[in-house]
Amino acid sequence: MTEQELKALAIAKSVDARGTACPGPLLAAKKAIGEIEDGEIMEILSADAGTKKDIPKWAEKKGYDYLGDLEEDGYFKMYLRKN
Amino acid sequence: MAKMCIGLYSGSIDKLTSAGVILSGAAADDMEVDVYVLLQAAQWFVKGNENNQPYLSEPSQGIDHFVNALKSVNSPTWMEYFAMAKEMTPVNIWVCSLAGKIWGGSKEEDMIDIVDGIIGIGEYIDAAKAADIHFLI
Repeated sequence: MTEQELKALAIAKSVDARGTACPGPLLAAKKAIGEIEDGEIMEILSADAGTKKDIPKWAEKKGYDYLGDLEEDGYFKMYLRKN
Repeated sequence: MAKMCIGLYSGSIDKLTSAGVILSGAAADDMEVDVYVLLQAAQWFVKGNENNQPYLSEPSQGIDHFVNALKSVNSPTWMEYFAMAKEMTPVNIWVCSLAGKIWGGSKEEDMIDIVDGIIGIGEYIDAAKAADIHFLI
């Protein structure tokens, strides 16, 4: 997805995991994914470099669509769609 | 469901923390995990040893430095990692009967709450054979 498309997504759940290091954001995402329905989109905020690799791989293994990420000042936002 | 087996023999908090982080990864992956607590690690799983002095496997680093570094990144303690993993995926924690006795625990009620039972070495070997991933920490 393009940056504009990512910014325009309707977010069903946002997880702010900027205060934790790996594996904190992954665990937070795992917990939160149960709170959204199939087809809905979750946003994960993290400042942990390892998480930027873990979340896409985790999404792929679980059959979720990883939509991309956006760089912010000192952190990044990642987007996935639950299936 | 994929299976992980961890033979946890080290009682040092750096290795226990590593085990906790690996357990968290397994929980995120919905793996089934059996943790076999052996020898030095067993002290932290038997009631009455809570006040034992924590130590590192590489003591030159300094335990205060290590603990403060973990706190600075808001890392849970190794015990909190274990508890979180148990909430999220099937994690069974078994204490080796020999190790339990070494640290003053011979019955299940002698163990802390997260322990699921006491086993002999044969069960650990069988679980290691059956696992998709096996760690000895």
